[in-house]
Amino acid sequence: MDLLLLLALLCYLAGAFYSVIIFSARSEGPDRYLFTIIAAGFVAHTASLAAGWAQLGHFPIVNPKEVISFISWAMLAHFLVIRWRYRARALPTFVIPLVFILTLVSLLLPAPARPISAALEGAIDASQLTQVLFPLHVTLLIFSYAAFIITTIGGVMYLVQEHELKAKTFGAAFYRLPALNTCDEIGSRSLTIGFVLLTLGIITGIIWNNQRDGKFWHNDPKEVLALVTWLAYMLMIHYRLTAGWRGRRIAWLSIAAFVTVLCTWIGARYLPGYHVFG
Amino acid sequence: MSVVLVGISHRTAPVELREQLAFGDAVLLEALKELVDRETITEGLIISTCNRVEILATTSKHAMDGITQLHEFLERRHGCRPEMFERHFYSFTDLEAIRHVFRVTSSLDSMVVGEPQITGQVKQAFQLAQDARTVGHQLNRLMSRAFAVAKRVRNETGIGLNSVSISFVAVELARRVFDTLKGATVLLVGAGEMAELAARHLNSYGAERILIANRTFERAEEFARELNGRAIPLSEFERNLSEADIVLCSTGAPHFLIRPDHVHQALNARRNRPMLLIDISVPRNIDPAISAFDNVFLFDIDDLENVIASNIQEREREALRAEAIIEGEAERFVASLAEGDLNQVIGAFRREVGLIVQMEFDRSRKRLGELSPEQEQAVHVLLNAVVNKLTLPVIKQLRESEDGHSVLLEAWRDFYHRDK
Repeated sequence: MDLLLLLALLCYLAGAFYSVIIFSARSEGPDRYLFTIIAAGFVAHTASLAAGWAQLGHFPIVNPKEVISFISWAMLAHFLVIRWRYRARALPTFVIPLVFILTLVSLLLPAPARPISAALEGAIDASQLTQVLFPLHVTLLIFSYAAFIITTIGGVMYLVQEHELKAKTFGAAFYRLPALNTCDEIGSRSLTIGFVLLTLGIITGIIWNNQRDGKFWHNDPKEVLALVTWLAYMLMIHYRLTAGWRGRRIAWLSIAAFVTVLCTWIGARYLPGYHVFG
Repeated sequence: MSVVLVGISHRTAPVELREQLAFGDAVLLEALKELVDRETITEGLIISTCNRVEILATTSKHAMDGITQLHEFLERRHGCRPEMFERHFYSFTDLEAIRHVFRVTSSLDSMVVGEPQITGQVKQAFQLAQDARTVGHQLNRLMSRAFAVAKRVRNETGIGLNSVSISFVAVELARRVFDTLKGATVLLVGAGEMAELAARHLNSYGAERILIANRTFERAEEFARELNGRAIPLSEFERNLSEADIVLCSTGAPHFLIRPDHVHQALNARRNRPMLLIDISVPRNIDPAISAFDNVFLFDIDDLENVIASNIQEREREALRAEAIIEGEAERFVASLAEGDLNQVIGAFRREVGLIVQMEFDRSRKRLGELSPEQEQAVHVLLNAVVNKLTLPVIKQLRESEDGHSVLLEAWRDFYHRDK
């Protein structure tokens, strides 16, 4: 049992409860303790990841247990950066419970007998360069997924708030969710960050491919889906910049695009192909 | 000691009567002095606003006596007749008076429940009474508790959260769309009174650019100067529509001034940045069809009234929670008063007995002759023991007497406060 991760989990649990309480109480309660609690969890989580790396001797993002732990950590990192800019009180209520659930799943997943699959081990050890490229590839992509999760959350918050404003029935959500513009900005900033990371992640993957067997492209399902994801987000950014798409349309698109992320990330595991590890 | 309160408010008296009974700033100081100069009135405070006149006092005698004193005071100052007291005045004593003060300060007794001004007005009244030195220990305690209760009510309930006026609802809506109004542009089409008020509020929340289109251009210019805005001819307002984040429409025109094609063009020009349009004119000046556009939020006067109605309901629900808080606070305060009172009586009683014993000792001192320090010490220990033994059963009984307010306490209080 990873005690540091357990400590982080407890912090997230407290943070999740706290954020829900803050959300349900409409009056502007103090959220500084929330930040302290989450930050403590984040530190413990970081320490857990670092310890894992030192202990295992390999970059600790090679099996589902590790990947899920890492993505919840990346989400939190992204949230902490965003929080610094947008003090939207509703955002932690969406993010922290999700972080908690992911961390819990990671903690409950059994550690694989062989932490690193043979195929992947072979792939990493091919050369000095791939030893750098592999962690870079995975880290960039996971960070981009984390950013896209936040984009999606921004989109969902936007849609709910927009519905309240259009329906003119101001329920509980109206006063608690951030302003429309804020939802939109949280979504678009995260989108930009996520897209840059995704692009870099795909590029490092292609270089890594080439290093290993001289081929840039294998028609592997994960590769194809990654390309679809990249195109989806590219189009979103394109229409946002050129046609001035925003608001509801972008919010729906961000949800749709996130489905492609899920397909790429999880779906591809169940398809035969070259990306057997991951 | 009793707390007493006599007052009238918008609930019990028409405005003519309230006007007649109001204490203007000019006479308030002198009125306060007159109030505490009355027999048995020890401390006094007068809250006089357009919705209420409240006279709060403490009396050294029974509560009913205090009420009579306050009635006499009002009779002398305003010529109030006995039947007026019956019909328009309420009078409260002790727990009820304290609860009333808490309710008033927390804005539960206000015409618009939760409106924030009253707390400030009570603070002012208290400040004035402090300056006039007509409040002492008791009312200081009561009022500082009242302000703490008001704060608690504000923090723990949503009583003041929802806007209940059109201009504030407009601000609230704008903030739900744009978050901060800094840098937002407001376009007024028609500079009616309500639109002006809303524009002022939006301005005070950060909307700096204000464009004003009005049928009489001079009126627009006048208002523009005041708010540091810009006047534009009414016939050309469509051209400025794309600049406007918030549009407030309130002309007397009998037809739609803002039509879907206008808004469509404006949206294109502003690259779909959201627009909030508020139409407070009757008949409406903005075609409701524009509601169908993305990134456009239109509210007409009925929508705003609906928001206000549901906000008032929400406030009333929250007011129930506030009442519960106040009930608890008032009871606790009365309990602490009684305790303070009890301790005072016990202290006075012990001092009194101690003094008697000391006096008797002093009288016999000479006959005792020279005493060594040890002997002197022993005598003091002995006397102390006698005082303790004598007073202890009485104190015990007082403390055990229910809520410290028994006949026993009254008797001892009368006995020991006789000459004060």
